[in-house]
Amino acid sequence: MASLFKDLAKLSAYRDRRFPGNQEEYEGALQTSTTVYVGNMSFYTTEEQMYELFSRAGEIKKIIMGLDKNSKTPCGFCFVLYYSREDTEDAVKYISGTMLDDRPIRVDFDWGFEEGRQWGRGRSGGQVRDEYRTDYDPGRGGYGKLVQRELESQRELVDYGAGALSAFQPPMPYGRHGGDYGHGGSHRHGRDYRKRNREDEHSASEMSRRTSGYESRRSSDHDSRPEKNPRFRESGDSDDEDDDDQKRRR
Amino acid sequence: MSSWQTLLLRVGDKCPEYGGAVDYKEHIETCYGVLWREFEHSKDEISELLLQCAEQLPHKIPFYGVLVGMINLEDEDFGKNIVDDLHCKLQEALSSENCDKIRTLMRFLTVLMCSKVILPSSVIEVFETLLSSAATIIDEDAGNPSWQPCADFYITCILSCLPWGGTELIEQVPDEFDRVIVGIQSYLSIRKHSQDTSFIVFEADEDKSAKEKDFVEDLWDHIQILSTNGWKVDSVPRPHLSFEEQLVSGKSYNLSPISCPKQSTSSSRSTISRERENYEAKLKYPQRLRRLHIFPSNKIEKMQPIDRFIVEEYLLDVLLYFNGCRKECASYMASLPVPFRYEYLMAETIFSQIMFLPQPPFKPIYYALVIIDLCKALPGAFPAVVAGAVRSLFNRIGDLDMECRTRLILWFSHHLSNFQYFWPWEEWAHVKDLPIWAPQRVFVQEVLEREVRLSYWDKIKQSIENAPELEELLPPKSVSSFKYNSEEDHGYTLSKEFREMVRGRKTAREITSWVEENIIQIHGSKFAIEVVIQTLLDIGSKSFTHLITVLERYGQVIAKLCTDQNMQVLLIDEVSSYWKNNTQMTAIAIDRMMGYRIISNLAIVSWVFSLSNIEQFHVSDRPWEILRNAINKTYNRIADLRKEIQTLKKSVLLAEDVAVKALKEFEAAETRLEVVDGQPVQAEKPGRLKRLKGYAEKAKDDEIAVREALEAKDALLARALEENKSLFVSLYKSFANVLTERLPPVSADGAFPKLRDEEDIDSMAIDLEESSTMEMDHDNRRKDDRNGEKVTHRYSLKEQDQWCLCTLGYVKAFSRQYATEVWPHLETLEAEVFGGDIHPLFRKAVFSGLCRSTTEM
Repeated sequence: MASLFKDLAKLSAYRDRRFPGNQEEYEGALQTSTTVYVGNMSFYTTEEQMYELFSRAGEIKKIIMGLDKNSKTPCGFCFVLYYSREDTEDAVKYISGTMLDDRPIRVDFDWGFEEGRQWGRGRSGGQVRDEYRTDYDPGRGGYGKLVQRELESQRELVDYGAGALSAFQPPMPYGRHGGDYGHGGSHRHGRDYRKRNREDEHSASEMSRRTSGYESRRSSDHDSRPEKNPRFRESGDSDDEDDDDQKRRR
Repeated sequence: MSSWQTLLLRVGDKCPEYGGAVDYKEHIETCYGVLWREFEHSKDEISELLLQCAEQLPHKIPFYGVLVGMINLEDEDFGKNIVDDLHCKLQEALSSENCDKIRTLMRFLTVLMCSKVILPSSVIEVFETLLSSAATIIDEDAGNPSWQPCADFYITCILSCLPWGGTELIEQVPDEFDRVIVGIQSYLSIRKHSQDTSFIVFEADEDKSAKEKDFVEDLWDHIQILSTNGWKVDSVPRPHLSFEEQLVSGKSYNLSPISCPKQSTSSSRSTISRERENYEAKLKYPQRLRRLHIFPSNKIEKMQPIDRFIVEEYLLDVLLYFNGCRKECASYMASLPVPFRYEYLMAETIFSQIMFLPQPPFKPIYYALVIIDLCKALPGAFPAVVAGAVRSLFNRIGDLDMECRTRLILWFSHHLSNFQYFWPWEEWAHVKDLPIWAPQRVFVQEVLEREVRLSYWDKIKQSIENAPELEELLPPKSVSSFKYNSEEDHGYTLSKEFREMVRGRKTAREITSWVEENIIQIHGSKFAIEVVIQTLLDIGSKSFTHLITVLERYGQVIAKLCTDQNMQVLLIDEVSSYWKNNTQMTAIAIDRMMGYRIISNLAIVSWVFSLSNIEQFHVSDRPWEILRNAINKTYNRIADLRKEIQTLKKSVLLAEDVAVKALKEFEAAETRLEVVDGQPVQAEKPGRLKRLKGYAEKAKDDEIAVREALEAKDALLARALEENKSLFVSLYKSFANVLTERLPPVSADGAFPKLRDEEDIDSMAIDLEESSTMEMDHDNRRKDDRNGEKVTHRYSLKEQDQWCLCTLGYVKAFSRQYATEVWPHLETLEAEVFGGDIHPLFRKAVFSGLCRSTTEM
């Protein structure tokens, strides 16, 4: 339907250069795929939010969050796998361009998830687009990684004094726990990730000076530090307890 | 796209391609000029695109008709070819029972008559063919009245053409036209009034539907008024009038005769099978629109009833043909070629689609997207109209079909999530003071629940800061409820040990035997379920993926523990208790466990009908969501199997074909002889023969393999259908049990008890009128007080009655949604559940969901 205005054969403007095949095979894969790629997500968006929204297009088989390959935290993209092709098409038709966490998300056909594709492909671990961005995007970790590094090196050169630091902070110190990102070890498939409110002592004190995470997000105070994720389920999955346990066992 | 194509597509639109001109005559002249320039070398392409445009942009058919007429003046073959193509397409659409195509092609046919390309007598001939087919269908002896929906559809098609060409037909073939009108009249006098209480959105309208005119009668009325008005319609552009002088000299063609498919004649089978046939006919030839009267009549745009009908048709066509093209869909919706405003009508039409029963033509989320886009395209006009619709629906929420309530909740939460969750909640703050089962209160609570799922708790809390009273209705801040937090908790140590084993990546088998030795043997299985479920859910509590991982790894441990239904019910209880503050996670966990076959759908039904859940029926969507998921998942798997079987059947045919061919080739080669030294010997080389034989054998093996796969799937489907049957028996039995206990008894004279207060309905009608004034004095403080007063008056309904209404509403909704799956088991259900002294209100709800007439009870 509506073949008059839309070239239906053209399924996606994006060509994944890691696809193992030629253009024809790529298009064939997109035409039969039951996987969608979701982009321009906030780093804070959870799988459950995705589930609620995307299940309105059909029964969901699986959700795979895109993760920063260094910090193992969500970095703004996701794969949703459906059971039926029709539902997949509907997700692309009806959800792409609509808002999730106040951001217009992008939904495209994807050629199919494979292990390894959940990791960001940018140099710093996240998505490539977050390397070079020069705008400030609080939903995606503040400034682009390159700008963040620049700001950090400036800070090292000049001593601004403690008070001035709050304006420019280095990127969130995720992953300072010696690479031990699993919890419980029971399902450390690499798809595992930590929720993003893990704060080390440094950022915890920083947080306490603020009001709630939500309000500071709305304020015009451009801080490159991601705020506390208010969607975190506090109880029942204490990572720290896990770490303690592990220490005790050693 | 080259320019003639763009111009053809855009003709009649206010667009840059035509320099923003709005004069249709100018559009047609420009377009025709360009088309004619290209005509020599693009004749076929032009013809093809013209037909496509007519089919997919039906609201612009008059323009395309004139263009065909103009070209026909210069090249008579062109007109002839278009007419022949149209004939093919129409015949194919009739044979394949493609309602949308039949309807649009009929309109094109009429318009081509206006542009002197088709003879008026041909149009009459098509009308008469449809008419006589309709008359035959509803004839008891010659036809099959179960198929009246098809006959009604044919008549609707004829009537729908008249606004486009009624004037011309009367002028040119008055006698024949009269004959058609008389024919329609006599059809209408024979047909049965259709009253689908099953598909009525507002339950209070149920009684009205018997008295009110149905869709066909209504349209007939409009057409009669139209004929007395001299066929003047504002909403139909008549561009051919501007070109009449030229067009009149064109050569008109005959349309070859068409034929309607013959519906199976009625054999004197059981009532059930006849009713089932009628149900299937209703699905195949659905009534296109069931008007939803949301706005008071003083709000909705003033227009002739026939104009309303035509604009509705335009809107539904745009929704149909522009599904998947967001930009065009919104822009065509917002700029129909009519000389009046229609935002209210547009909102009513879209909402009527969201609430369309049994299923909207597209998923409700499509209409959500359309509304979002229209709010952006018409920022000054549409958002306020949508808000008005929401207010009005909210006022009548207690009267809304249960399925529609769910759709409304899902739509509204999604809509708000696209507009920063802004809503004047203070208008509804009063619901806090209503009893917790009051439908308006439940509605607000469920909208907030869905908003929180789409966003997060703090954000939604902030969005209702103008109505802090409503915070009470927010779901709990979603945290899990782990039972073993301190060493004093019974089970703490076991759980900790269990967790260590999981962490140590012990296998499911090792854990199962550990559970057996350390928990079951000492504390019993019941406690084992508690420890295992609490611990595993806690480990998988971080996200959907964590949950799946845990279940994939240790689902077997649970399955071993819960082999029978009673244990599975306990298991679901434990899930529900761990996630008692998070309905979404409860639902997801149960859904996944059913997916991994850890729990059966029967166990879920049994759990949903346990006492603590029954008490929630009228208060929360939680048990219903879980029940919906379970039935839906069962249904989806059956649908998947059916699809796979369809594909396999095709593969079998294909494989058969290949096998036969390969065998033939081998045999031909084998018997090919040649004479060598006077002796016949085989002509083929032995190597080739061997190869061909190999191919033939392999093809045969392939064929057998596909056949076996098909047989296996068939067996799976048979089993799934059997399971489905038990599911519905169990579901209806459970409903029957809980309802029988709670429904008020039938009075001695046999009259049904009334759950809904008659006065109630009246007061709702008054509300509707008032809501318009309410909107005007938007900032008026008095409004809230008045509202509060009214509301307390309205919820005089007792809790028990509300519970019954709600539960009966779900009985109807489930029956309706899965009617095609329930019908085949109806005889069993009659015998096992609906027979005997079952409560008439329960029976009525089921029957009305299945579209069975309740009169024969």
